[in-house]
Amino acid sequence: MSDVLLSVENVVKHFPVQSSKRRFRSREFVHAVDGVSFDVRRGETLGLVGETGCGKSTLARCITRLLDITSGRVVLDGRDISTLSSREMRPLRREMQLIFQDPYGSLNPKRRVGSIIGDPFAIHGVADGAERKRRVQETMEQVGLNPEHYNRFPAEFSGGQRQRIGVARALALRPKLLICDEPVSALDVSIQAQVINLLADLQKQFGLTYIFIAHDLSVVRHVSDRVALMYLGKVVELAPVEDIFQTARHPYANALLSAVPIPDPIRADKRERIILVGDVPSPIEPPSGCRFHPRCPKAQQRCVDKEPTLSAQQGDRAEHTVACHFPVRPGEDLTLARPAIAAKDRIVEPDVVSDP
Amino acid sequence: MALLEIRDLHVSFPTMDGVVQAVRGVSFSVDSGETLGVVGESGSGKSVLTQTIMGLTRGARISGQAMFQGRDLLTMSQKELQSVRGTKIGMIFQDPLSSLHPCYRVGWQIIEMIRAHESRTSKAAARARAVDLLRLVGIPQPERRVDDYPHQFSGGMRQRAMIAMAMSLNPALLIADEPTTALDVTVQAQVLQVMQRMQQEFDTAIVLITHDLGVIAEVADKAVVMYAGAEMEHAARNEIFYQLHHPYTEGLLRSLPAYNSDRTRLQPIAGQPPSLIDLPGGCPFHPRCPYVMERCSREVPPLEPVEQNARHLSACWLPRGAAERAAVLPRAAGRAIAP
Repeated sequence: MSDVLLSVENVVKHFPVQSSKRRFRSREFVHAVDGVSFDVRRGETLGLVGETGCGKSTLARCITRLLDITSGRVVLDGRDISTLSSREMRPLRREMQLIFQDPYGSLNPKRRVGSIIGDPFAIHGVADGAERKRRVQETMEQVGLNPEHYNRFPAEFSGGQRQRIGVARALALRPKLLICDEPVSALDVSIQAQVINLLADLQKQFGLTYIFIAHDLSVVRHVSDRVALMYLGKVVELAPVEDIFQTARHPYANALLSAVPIPDPIRADKRERIILVGDVPSPIEPPSGCRFHPRCPKAQQRCVDKEPTLSAQQGDRAEHTVACHFPVRPGEDLTLARPAIAAKDRIVEPDVVSDP
Repeated sequence: MALLEIRDLHVSFPTMDGVVQAVRGVSFSVDSGETLGVVGESGSGKSVLTQTIMGLTRGARISGQAMFQGRDLLTMSQKELQSVRGTKIGMIFQDPLSSLHPCYRVGWQIIEMIRAHESRTSKAAARARAVDLLRLVGIPQPERRVDDYPHQFSGGMRQRAMIAMAMSLNPALLIADEPTTALDVTVQAQVLQVMQRMQQEFDTAIVLITHDLGVIAEVADKAVVMYAGAEMEHAARNEIFYQLHHPYTEGLLRSLPAYNSDRTRLQPIAGQPPSLIDLPGGCPFHPRCPYVMERCSREVPPLEPVEQNARHLSACWLPRGAAERAAVLPRAAGRAIAP
C-alpha cells in the first residue's frame, strides 16, 4: 500500500462564462483552478488556504467529482477517478466525503437527524432497519451527539451541534479521506474549538486523512501537517506547516500572514503589516506570468513574462516548494520592497489626499 | 464629558415565546479619537446594543440613557435623530452588499447622503466630495469608479465605499458592526487601516463590534466583553489580554488556536450560550464556567473594579485581588495566558 492516498495531478477547471450577447458565447472562461498538483499522504492533514475566489472550494469539488475537471488527473488509492462515470464513481464515494461550511444550508430542515445520518447507509445498501438505526446512533455518539436525539429536526440543534451532524453524516461509512470545506468558519470561537477537537479525535481514532480548507490561518496552523497556499487558481507555496508559518518564501504568503490579526496586543503592535494594494484580479483574464505580479512588492519584468513553477529553494527542506522567481529571503523586509515593472502591469494605489 | 455615554441600557423584545432580554444593563463611554471594541459571540446582544443607540430597534422595550454630546439619543424625536444619524454618527454594517442599494450608482448614494443633510451643497460640490472620499478610502481611479454600481465593486471596495459614506459628513462617532467579518484577511487589513487613518485625520470616536479578539488586539483602545446581553468584563485593551479577571474572557482566549501550541487540544468553553428568553439564575455564565461556585447560581455578580482599578471592571464572584484569588483557586493564579 502506497504512502500516498490521493494524488492531484495538474488539475484544471475552467467554467465557461455565460454571456447574454450570443456573439461572444463561451469564448471566455473563469480559470477557477489552473494546473494544481499535490499529494496527500495517509493519515495526514493537508491544509488548503487562500482567499475568496482562489479556487480552493472548486478544487475540493473537483477532487470529489462533484464537478468534472477540464483536464488533469485525480488519483485515489492508485486509481484514476477523474474519468469514471457516475455509476463507477458511486462505490468510491464511500472512500471520501465532504463536510460543508454552512451547518444551516447543508442539512434538509424537513428531515429528522436520524434519517439524514442514515442516508449514506441507505444509499450504499449497507444497513437496514434496526441495524441502520443502531449504526446511526453509534455514529451520533462518536461525534458527541446524544443518540436519543435521533428523531429531532435540524432546527432543534445549535450551530455547533449541526456541524456535528454534518460530521456524522460524512463519517458514517468510515471514509478514508474527509474533505472539510471551511468546517468551522460559521461557528463562534468557543464552539469552533469544540469542533476542531472533535475532528482531531476522530482522525486519531479512525486514522482519517483530511484535506482541511479554511481561510482562517490560525485554525489551519493548528490542524495541518502540511499547507498548500493558493492564489487565483494556482498553488503558490506548499510546505510543512511550520515552514510556511516561520519562513514563508512567497511574497503573497508573507503578506497574508502579516495581515492575520494577532490576539496579543504587544505582538500586534510590534509587527509590521504588509498591506497589499488593490484586489485579486479577475480569474477570467488572469495576469500573465506570475499571477501575483500586479500586486507584488518584489515584482520584476521576469514575473510578467514567465510563469514560475513550484520548486524547493536553497536552504529549505525539499518538501518546502514555492512558485516564485524572487522568493523572500529570511530576514528580508518586504515593507521596503518596491516593484520594478511598468505601471501598466501594476495595480497602483491612489494618492491619498489629506482633506475631503 | 465623554462623547458617548451609555448608562444602564436595557433592551428587550416581547415575542410569542416570551420576552427576549437582548441587552441587560450595559454602561460604557467613548471619547473622541478613541476606539472601543465590543466583543462577544452570536446572540450576546452586541448588535442590538448599537442598533438601539442608533434608534433602529423597532418594537423594543428600552430603558437607560445614551448620552451623545450631552443629549439623550433614546428620548430624541425621530426628526432629531434623523439629523444626528449621518451628520454626527456614521454607521458601517457587516454586509456591504446589502447595505448599498444595488440599483443606484455608488457615487449617487454618497451624494444623496451629503445632500440629504446639507441641502445647500450643490450636486457638483457633493460629487467632488464623493470622489475625494473614495480616493481617501483607497478606491483606485475614483473619478471613474464613482459612477459604478455596487456590483461592479469587490467586497473590500464596497466596504470601503461604506466607510466613505459613513465618513462623508465628518461624524464625531463611527459605529462599525462587524465591518470586516465578511472580508478576507488582506482586505480586512486594508479596511482596518483605512478606519484608523480616518480616525487620526478627524479624531473620530469608533465603536467597533466584533467577535474577533485579534481585531480587538489590533485596533481597540479598550474593550467590553459581552455575554448573554450583559457586560462580563470591561477594561483597557492590554488588561483584557494580560490581566483578565472574568472566566468568560479567559475561555474566549483559550478557545483560540493562536493561544494554543500547535496540534494540542484546544480548550473550548463547554456547553452552549443560554437562551435570552430563559436565562439561568445568578451569573449567566455559571453553567459553563470552570470555576463555578455555589454562590454563582444564586446571586448575580456586580460589575465592579478589579484590584482597585476603576477602569477595569468585571462581573464575577472570584476574588478581585491577585493574591486572594491565588489563595482561592491555584489554577487562576497566573491568569495572564502566555501564547
